[in-house]
Amino acid sequence: MIRSVSSFLAIAIAFSTANLLSAQEKKADRSTLAIDAGHLEFFEKEVRPLLIKHCYECHGNGEVDGGLAVDYRDGLLQGGDSGVAIIPGKPDESLFIEAIRYKNEDMQMPPDGKISSAEIKVLEKWVAMGSPDPREKSTEGNHKAAMGMSIVEGKQFWSFLPISNPDVPMVKNKDWVKSPIDAFILAKLEEKNLKPAPRAAKTTLIRRVTLDLIGLPPTPQEIDAFVADQTPDAFEKVVERLLDSPQYGVRWGRHWLDVVRYADSNGLDENLAYGNAWRFRDYVINSYNNDKPFDRFLIEQLAGDLLPDSNRETITATGFLVLGAKVLAEPDREKLMMDTIDEQLEAVGKAFLGMSFGCVRCHDHKFDPVKQSDYYALGAIFKGTKTFADSNTGSIKHWHEHSFATPEELKSLKKIDAEIAKKKSAAASFKNKAVVKLRNEARTKATEYLMAASKFDTSTSLRRVDAIAEPLGLHARILHHCRLHLDYHRDDSFFKTWHELNAKQDQQGIEQHYRPLFEEAETAFQTARKKDPKVKKLDDARLEPARAALYDLYGFLEVPAKPEFAFDQKTLSEYYRLMEEARILESNAPDATSVMSVADGTVQRELPVHIRGSHRNLGKPVAREFPEVMRTSTVRPVFRSDQSGRLELARWMASTSHPLTSRVYVNRIWRWHFGAGIVKTTDNFGKIGSQPTHPELLDWLARRFMETGWSTKQMHRLILSSSVYQMQSQTGHGQTSQVDPHKVDPENDLLWEFRIQRLEAEQLRDAVLAVSDRLDISLGGKTVPLRNRQFVFNHTSVDHTKYDSLRRAVYLPVIRNNLYTLFEQFDFPDPTTPTGSRNTTTVAPQALLMLNSPLIMESAEKLAKNLLKQPGDDVEKIRLAYRKTLGRHPSKQESKRALGFIQGISGLAMLNAAKVDPIQKQRAWALLCQALISSNEFIYVR
Amino acid sequence: MSIDFALQQRRMLLKTSAVGFGHLALTAMLGQEAIAEQKQNISSNPLAPKQPHFPPRAKRIVFLFMKGGPSHVDTFDPKPMLNKHDGTPPPFDLPKVTFAKQGNLLKSPWKFKQRGQCGLPVSELFPHVSKHIDDLCILRSVHGTNPAHGGALLKIHTGSDQFVRPSMGSWITYGLGTENQNLPAFITICPTLAHGGVNNWGTAFLPAYCQGTPIGNASLSAAQAKVKHISNARIDPQLQRKQLDLIAAMNQDLLQETGTNQALEGRLNSFELAYRMQSTMPEVQDISQETSATHASYGIDDPVTEDFGRQCLMARRFLERGVRYVQVTHSDSEVQWDQHGNLYQGHTKNASEVDKPIAGFLEDLKNRGLLEDTLVLWGGEFGRTPTSQGTNGRDHNPHGFTMWMAGAGVKGGYAYGATDDFGYYAIENKMHVNDLHATILHILGIDHERLTYRYASRDFRLTDLAGRVAKDILA
Repeated sequence: MIRSVSSFLAIAIAFSTANLLSAQEKKADRSTLAIDAGHLEFFEKEVRPLLIKHCYECHGNGEVDGGLAVDYRDGLLQGGDSGVAIIPGKPDESLFIEAIRYKNEDMQMPPDGKISSAEIKVLEKWVAMGSPDPREKSTEGNHKAAMGMSIVEGKQFWSFLPISNPDVPMVKNKDWVKSPIDAFILAKLEEKNLKPAPRAAKTTLIRRVTLDLIGLPPTPQEIDAFVADQTPDAFEKVVERLLDSPQYGVRWGRHWLDVVRYADSNGLDENLAYGNAWRFRDYVINSYNNDKPFDRFLIEQLAGDLLPDSNRETITATGFLVLGAKVLAEPDREKLMMDTIDEQLEAVGKAFLGMSFGCVRCHDHKFDPVKQSDYYALGAIFKGTKTFADSNTGSIKHWHEHSFATPEELKSLKKIDAEIAKKKSAAASFKNKAVVKLRNEARTKATEYLMAASKFDTSTSLRRVDAIAEPLGLHARILHHCRLHLDYHRDDSFFKTWHELNAKQDQQGIEQHYRPLFEEAETAFQTARKKDPKVKKLDDARLEPARAALYDLYGFLEVPAKPEFAFDQKTLSEYYRLMEEARILESNAPDATSVMSVADGTVQRELPVHIRGSHRNLGKPVAREFPEVMRTSTVRPVFRSDQSGRLELARWMASTSHPLTSRVYVNRIWRWHFGAGIVKTTDNFGKIGSQPTHPELLDWLARRFMETGWSTKQMHRLILSSSVYQMQSQTGHGQTSQVDPHKVDPENDLLWEFRIQRLEAEQLRDAVLAVSDRLDISLGGKTVPLRNRQFVFNHTSVDHTKYDSLRRAVYLPVIRNNLYTLFEQFDFPDPTTPTGSRNTTTVAPQALLMLNSPLIMESAEKLAKNLLKQPGDDVEKIRLAYRKTLGRHPSKQESKRALGFIQGISGLAMLNAAKVDPIQKQRAWALLCQALISSNEFIYVR
Repeated sequence: MSIDFALQQRRMLLKTSAVGFGHLALTAMLGQEAIAEQKQNISSNPLAPKQPHFPPRAKRIVFLFMKGGPSHVDTFDPKPMLNKHDGTPPPFDLPKVTFAKQGNLLKSPWKFKQRGQCGLPVSELFPHVSKHIDDLCILRSVHGTNPAHGGALLKIHTGSDQFVRPSMGSWITYGLGTENQNLPAFITICPTLAHGGVNNWGTAFLPAYCQGTPIGNASLSAAQAKVKHISNARIDPQLQRKQLDLIAAMNQDLLQETGTNQALEGRLNSFELAYRMQSTMPEVQDISQETSATHASYGIDDPVTEDFGRQCLMARRFLERGVRYVQVTHSDSEVQWDQHGNLYQGHTKNASEVDKPIAGFLEDLKNRGLLEDTLVLWGGEFGRTPTSQGTNGRDHNPHGFTMWMAGAGVKGGYAYGATDDFGYYAIENKMHVNDLHATILHILGIDHERLTYRYASRDFRLTDLAGRVAKDILA
């Protein structure tokens, strides 16, 4: 009621205001003058109130949802994002009318329900009469101004400017400069009168660089060798040793896997195993170990299948485009295609260009100079690319793969597939037989069920039903169901007698009525079947209902569908055993050699702009092109007419004149070494991203990177040899300079000291295994324990994925929707979005994991065992424990404290026993080792 | 060390650190008297309770999620026309995209009866819940976009069936913080790992402290459900205390060397909180402290209702301790409510498992005065078609379905919106999932257009660019 009064008021007010306005503006208002008086009256009386009532909330008074305003004449005539709203005189061609008619499921207005048909008629009539409309645009209308940067402005934005060639700056403290990088950093520090921190101790340095380059802590022997090496290039030798280690690719390949949102399963709606993703993972690790030039690396991942020298390796690389999370069961194929392209564009943009293209799908970028037309120009390239295969499993579409299987391989796989099918059907047939047995048993006791059902009512709990069923040898769930069935089927004439007798609690009567009936029916049915095995019914109208009730699978004797409910423990465990056998066979079965990859599909030379991102609302087509603001040539690119255009796109992105590619990548390398990028937002070089703290250094590095043939390892050498990398961290109160750097530069943006960094999830896990001598450092191969396209867990939520492998963490399965707990808790990035800079959060569940998880406890126990095997006294063992875990000797005080801890705990046992219990002693050592592994010093790199 | 000094030290640590179940707050360590000060200290602890945009109707929310899609035309949205036209082809256009092939109209196997003072009809499937009809606000015009489980689950939990986005619980945690710093802000009991899995309680780009904490999952019974690593069977608590002291001493040494460092101090504190949580969580989950009458009212004494009853009772214990968002999931080893066939058997079983526990839960909340400021939401990811699939099943229907609310701030005994005569499409007061989210946030005192987070160059919202608050349902 209140609502209708207020809307009435609103109408009245709007009406009078409109009259006022039209009176005031009569001179300027041609249309008002032109409107026939009758039409005007029709509009004011009939039309305007409807528009106010149903439309203004979203399309009036400054609100322009969908770009459409309906509170002034030209708003409707010009229309919104979907086009012109009204064609005067042509209701059937006017989108406005189409929307209110509610016939097009993609365009229905108002959104909260169809207006009455009388109201629709009014509006149809209005449009048919030429939509007479006196309303002018209100002058103070706060229509949202166009947002974002223009292309011209964008060309002047720092990240789109050509890469400069800066001079190395002059500095005062020349002795500190070991590499041009130092000069760039020092120049800014000197501007603020800041001094760089002193060089870190050798023990700190070797721990830092070893964890940085190979993701493992240095061994005591490696530390000793470095400390003993007094040659000037001792550190460089360590760096070379580490860069030559295949473990380098394991660590740095993982960085790139963050950027490409690597995972071993699809996640999102249907979590199918990416059983061949590991081949892409190994490709990345190998590429880092071989120092594959980054320009080539980029081209392979975007267009490895189109290269003239395309081969298995380069085709594997295109897995990059397929790895995204997809809504595999999306029934609307066209939507799925556009969503997938969107995911790909977002990944390509973020990974290589530091640009977010995702938000340009629906409208021009709100901040960056990227236009919707740029998006669909790129979209055309990916629309011409096949990411999905033509096959599917039920409603689940298959992603595209390229097979390298030999005929022999395929033949042997057929055999394995048959074996799996056999195992599966063995389980199914066991289940079916058991169900049939239960059915038959229930049928022979049909009368007993009906009698027992009379002993309780529908609200009786199953536990009490069980007490009734058990002594009678009946199945409690069947009996329970039987009672409910009888109640729901009061209308069933066959059970009419039961209800009558039940009301009198006459169980004997029930027996007298139903037993002979069932027996007769059963006998008659068996006899009839002997004559004709195909017989389905009895002709006898008296007996047929009894037969039907007995043989109705969903009747009063229905066997519960859930095996847990139907079967006894023995049958159930046998059924589970058979299921598990089939699952294990399938999980471990090999797949045909095949790689996740894309291929060219039907070439799309152009793609229409999708209005507001909808594939059902198409606008002007745009031809394949590169984003305008990044173009370095005024010549329109030439795309081959027989290819998607990915190769041209990749080559353009990998060219030395591209303003973003090299900047974005060297900034990533910098971030991974220092814990923060020169541009902190590693995946966003746009307006919302951060500005570079050292823009000249960034350009200098980008140039140097390209000059050295896009070599990642050369960048490591350059950066690691600098004084900047070798500074102390946490110098805080030890600063000698007169200016307090904490006040001048609290975030350490200028790098006056090295940043302390927490170990990443994989570093932590691998370090724990390494110091307890449990780590297996073998490389490569399939590690996800699932067959390609097998459900990780479909409806069951049982996750069979195990993480007890002792191989390096990069080889642990990355299961979307259910990450390994340690990964999840220690800020492993969301494997559905490209991530260049992981977070570091500290939450209590991490501490629970350090205190209580089997991984940490078992490793601590192993480390303790190893220590106890060593010669020497307890003090010597404590020293070794510190060297292994923290890479240094304990102080005297630390040693004393540790000893006190061991003796205190062993001593607890001594009170009860004559001598120290060896188990208790080992436990004490394990607790000490666990404490060391859990300490801040272990988990932070200084 | 005097108590005052210890308090001061801890306060200092608190101010400089950001840790917790999400992030640490030492409310419990400080004692109750310090809570007021805590509340002012929002910047130091992102999980501290935050002021909503306007006075909230509800302080907390519980979502009773029925996985698989309960049929609205068989539960809360009766359609006499279905009985009349049973077995005939649908006299309306089907959607362009349907999940499976649609058959003829199929009448409901259940009878509806008018219930309560309000006289709203509820089917025989919910004899216990229907006793509370005067407290329920039946939303009959909910509609989504996706006809497949995965997409629809993501839609209902995150607002998006296309991309990985923060879940509703994470947004609410982000917006409101939480009342009890010794428990997670956002708990999901026995969630399903399929069909979106962790994304349904994930943070996506929101800060990690907004993450939901799962207790068990759908493959485990409620009795087995635990937070990961919450206990240690190998080490006696006394020894572990000694070990914690040793770790603390080591960490203090490092702090001496490095000077003030937020990260290092925060991690030091996180061990203390973890140690306390080891006793808090199991205690809250321990429902044996409840009376046998309470157990009976939740149906915990009956194997049919035991599992869901336990979940509901646990939920109440979390809610009354100040947990902001609790989700309870009814899901088994199949897609629970997904009756493409065997509608009658399946829905009977499913309803009988939840009916009594939900009724007991509502009753209990009411008796404890919790219903006044708790929003209860019930429903699945979509409804089911009035048309048949096979001979005795119904397909997925996201175009119009029923959810209900109860408790804080909503009209009881009230039906909002409507589907068409057959129950296929929402037609009146249509409530898109975005609108549902906007309304939920509104009830919690949040303006859905102002709860934003900037990520990848744009401000994101739970409701994306849509969402209208259904003001008509507010009491």
